[in-house]
Amino acid sequence: MIVGKKLALRGITLLGVLFSVLLLVVVTLGATGLSDNMLKAIVSDQLRELRTSLAQTIRDPLELEKVLEQRRNQLYDFYGLDEPWYNRLPDLIIRVLSLDLGSARNLKSFSGSSKVSDIVLERLPNTILLVTTALIISGLLGLYFGVKLAIKAGTKFDRFFSYLSSISYALPTWWLGIIFILLLAFQLRIFPPTGMYSSPPPSDNLLKFLDLLWHASLPILTLVVASIGGWIYSVRTMVLNVAQEDFVTLGRAKGLKESTIMKRYIIRVAAPPILTGLILGLAGSLGGAILTETVFGWPGMGRLYYDAILALDENVIIALTFLFTLIYIIARFILEALYMVLDPRVRY
Amino acid sequence: MFKEEIKIFLKGGSGKVGLALFTLLLALSLYVIASFPLDFGVRYWNNPSYWADYPITVPPAWYNFFSDNPKPEHKIISAEEKSFDNNLQLSFRFKQVYDDFPSFISLRLGKFTLNSLNPLTLELYLKRPDSEFILLKRQILTSSFEGNPPFNLYFDEPLRISLTADPDVSFEISSFLSRKYNFKILQTELLSKGAHVALFGKPEKDILIPLKGDYEIVVNLKLSDPKDKVGEARLILGGGVYGLMGTDSLGRDLFVGLLFGFPVALFIGAVVSFLVALIGTFNGIISGYMGGKSDTLIQRASDILANMPLLPLLIFLTFVLGQKLWLVMLILIVFGWPGLTILIRSMVLQIKSFQFIEAAQALGSTRGRIILKHIFPQTAPFVFAQMIFSVPGAILAEAALSFLGLGDPSLPTWGQILELGFRRGGIYSGYWWWILPPGILIMITAFTFLLIALALEPLVNPRLRRIK
Amino acid sequence: MMLELKDLTVNYLTDRGRLKALNKVSFSLSEGEALGVVGESGSGKTTLGLSLMRLLPKNAELLEGKAIFNGLDIFGLLEEEFRRKIRWKKISMVFQGAMNSLNPVIKVGHQVAEPLIEHENLPKPEAYRRAEEALEQVGLNRQVFHCYPHELSGGMKQRIVIAMALILSPKIVILDEPTSALDVSIQAQIINLLKKLKWELSLSFIFITHDISLASDISDRIAVVYAGEIVEIGPSEDVLLNPKHPYTKELLESIPRITLDKLPSFIAGSPPDMVDPPKGCKFHPRCPEVMDICYREEPKDFTVSKQRVRCWLYND
Repeated sequence: MIVGKKLALRGITLLGVLFSVLLLVVVTLGATGLSDNMLKAIVSDQLRELRTSLAQTIRDPLELEKVLEQRRNQLYDFYGLDEPWYNRLPDLIIRVLSLDLGSARNLKSFSGSSKVSDIVLERLPNTILLVTTALIISGLLGLYFGVKLAIKAGTKFDRFFSYLSSISYALPTWWLGIIFILLLAFQLRIFPPTGMYSSPPPSDNLLKFLDLLWHASLPILTLVVASIGGWIYSVRTMVLNVAQEDFVTLGRAKGLKESTIMKRYIIRVAAPPILTGLILGLAGSLGGAILTETVFGWPGMGRLYYDAILALDENVIIALTFLFTLIYIIARFILEALYMVLDPRVRY
Repeated sequence: MFKEEIKIFLKGGSGKVGLALFTLLLALSLYVIASFPLDFGVRYWNNPSYWADYPITVPPAWYNFFSDNPKPEHKIISAEEKSFDNNLQLSFRFKQVYDDFPSFISLRLGKFTLNSLNPLTLELYLKRPDSEFILLKRQILTSSFEGNPPFNLYFDEPLRISLTADPDVSFEISSFLSRKYNFKILQTELLSKGAHVALFGKPEKDILIPLKGDYEIVVNLKLSDPKDKVGEARLILGGGVYGLMGTDSLGRDLFVGLLFGFPVALFIGAVVSFLVALIGTFNGIISGYMGGKSDTLIQRASDILANMPLLPLLIFLTFVLGQKLWLVMLILIVFGWPGLTILIRSMVLQIKSFQFIEAAQALGSTRGRIILKHIFPQTAPFVFAQMIFSVPGAILAEAALSFLGLGDPSLPTWGQILELGFRRGGIYSGYWWWILPPGILIMITAFTFLLIALALEPLVNPRLRRIK
Repeated sequence: MMLELKDLTVNYLTDRGRLKALNKVSFSLSEGEALGVVGESGSGKTTLGLSLMRLLPKNAELLEGKAIFNGLDIFGLLEEEFRRKIRWKKISMVFQGAMNSLNPVIKVGHQVAEPLIEHENLPKPEAYRRAEEALEQVGLNRQVFHCYPHELSGGMKQRIVIAMALILSPKIVILDEPTSALDVSIQAQIINLLKKLKWELSLSFIFITHDISLASDISDRIAVVYAGEIVEIGPSEDVLLNPKHPYTKELLESIPRITLDKLPSFIAGSPPDMVDPPKGCKFHPRCPEVMDICYREEPKDFTVSKQRVRCWLYND
């Protein structure tokens, strides 16, 4: 029960974060007059439709204008455009929450819809696919090499990798991606430089999957290389810290096998702090994903950000900002729940 | 005083290398600040006419050392002046030795000082290794001025004649080739290729190949007054390579842009990390030492701010509020301090329980004095190391934002240079000199501060540090 | 003799050079006997315990020495053989600082039962049953089995560590400062528990401590360690009442006593630097009875009444 309470408390804090972001977004939009423009655009869209449908029945242009003017006033009233922006905040929050942000300026979804929610949501799985795969791979590799390094702590091998991991921290993810494209896509021609599928994509399901894998290799490699240094380093440090604890010596004294010591006395104990590192690095990996997608033209939410910036499409940017925050909050919550499972000290 | 500390700092390789790199970065930045105007970005970097005489997207000059097929270097030739009667003759002599054509040829005349408003006649001649002078162009220059002589003409903006793209030149040179070699090429076709191909070429089979040898271009100005002067006369032979770092698609000298990036990067890193350290430490000490309501408030605020995803918010805010560097830095500071505050707070809670603090309290020291004299000095080394450690974060964040096209257009940064290279398809076209150096510089700068932070660690690790 | 230790010499390789942790340490231990090993911190007591468990850190080198346990040379065994036959099964250990001796993420009951599962290949329920018995044996409630370490007090943790040391019914238990982190009242409880267990199970103890009065309370014999050497060893009463080595004498003088009017004295000087120890007798810079030879030559062991003393004073 105590677990539930603690988890609920974390949940509330994270919801607080989400709400703060939401508030920041809508207040910025309201104060800069952008939300007015957004609503006005929605109104004029509706009026345009009305004009074409009415044009068939009402022949007199003056009459038509009068009807349209009436309708415009109704709509302004409905959306609260005649009131100051802060009165519309609750409405705007609900709009952002439900991704009801009208239509994009130029961008279209793959199926041709220009509704913001369609455009953004259809990219969501692509981003999640990329980020989680990279996270799992770099996590496993980081764990493996971090433990290896901890065993060899103090050797030249260890020092070399310590430097390497700080270089990997100093490497901008997107620049690394560019280097990989130059090297592996253009010089050696092993991987495709951009996209998610060949065009046209193979029709066979298995081939299509392999095609996806082939296209995903470089972006995933980029994300893994960019983050693995930090992983290895933090796993190494945690394992070294734990390995010096008295209970590890006691475990050895008890005559336990070295593999048992490693698994249950070192890695298992180091797992919660390692997870903490992951939690703290989560926002960074998400940022890395935005940039990596941009470089590789991966049709996910990150690339959409870049496209929306170039197209000056603020509706899409609002939706993306909210959605990224939401994903981040959910991921945080899952990881923190996992932390509580792993560390009995927090549970009670 | 800090002898022991400096010794420990310099003991490992990372301290030495980090300090050496930092000195280099600082020296370059100071040089740039001393020698570049502050409005360099607006006045030069983002002013296309300033770069009009530079070759477009060419590799650095040293590329020729590694290349089997050396490309012509960028040449700016000054005129030899001769005047007789009312004629001013400007002649430009040069040798063409490359197996490749110059990328363009253009003429720049400026700073005319005229004593009357009568029209001037300008004639342009070319002498090639295989011919006598050919008339390429005749043009009348008119001007209207009010007031009294002398009149200054072409002072702000020089007169530019692009021989590459001039229809008259194309026409004349194509008719020359047809006369001399019976080689037919249409004026329009020549214009699309660039007339320099014909100016410096001779036909071989169906194509024009570079003709090596001595050339002379002469500009003849018929003046109406012998005292009239032309202050500036240059002939530019566009190179296939340029400078130390090559040029971008606007002809901008990347060396200059990259150089200007040094102080900008250091400025961003220094200001953001310093203010983050200042605010973070202040709030941390207040929160930890004072406790009570201010503690709760600071804790809540930092808990929420520290848990926000930074990049999406940076994108949103700069997109909506404008692409300004100070705004980016402000956002980095606002979202940056809570991390430090959380650490400092827990440190202060520990320090608070030490006996010397209790002793100071018992002696009746004021809160301010205890904070300033006893608590802050305990945290200072740690804060300093954290400050150094947070420099790369700020630089990388600005670079990332610039890379997404949200950089401040009034100041060139490495991220922006890279972004333009990326957007112009630099990866696909293989513009390595445009794409690689800015990334390398960002990396080296970030790495420098990481090395220093690494070397500082044994000095300031709060667990290793004994309480004096 | 159950355990015979001969000339144990151990060095540590440090940044500053070779640290001479133990120099020719010899003693014997018979069944059911408790040997108190007394010395200042840094004198090499803990190294002695770790050597017998063969758990010396990586930078340690065992230069010479033999430990014969029931006819078996335990330093000569292969690591795997030692792990299976001796470690914890015959010789177990209670480490210094019970606070950190338990794995924070495993339930304590399982930690107690672990050797049974790993060593004896006992099925889990059987192992758990015996672990519960062991917990009761050290005076703990069976419910403790399902707790995590952070939920227990220091004294309870110490009892668990003791239960853990007893779970395979070893012959010898090495106790390294088993009570130093505990409150005085709990310290007494633990000492009484140890006495009871020694009596009931006829265990042999090697009781390592810095507190000579505590050692005298539980030990049959006492070994006084100074700078990596046993300077005096003998039956507890003799060592306490009739100390031979100047260091032992000074050590006893420094204990505050209610029955005496005299204030306790301090031992002048400070413990030697073990990387660069004094020549000759290592105690000579602090010794009130120092002689010329002490500066030059390392003392040999001499037998004086019931004690064995490493001091030139007894060179006849």
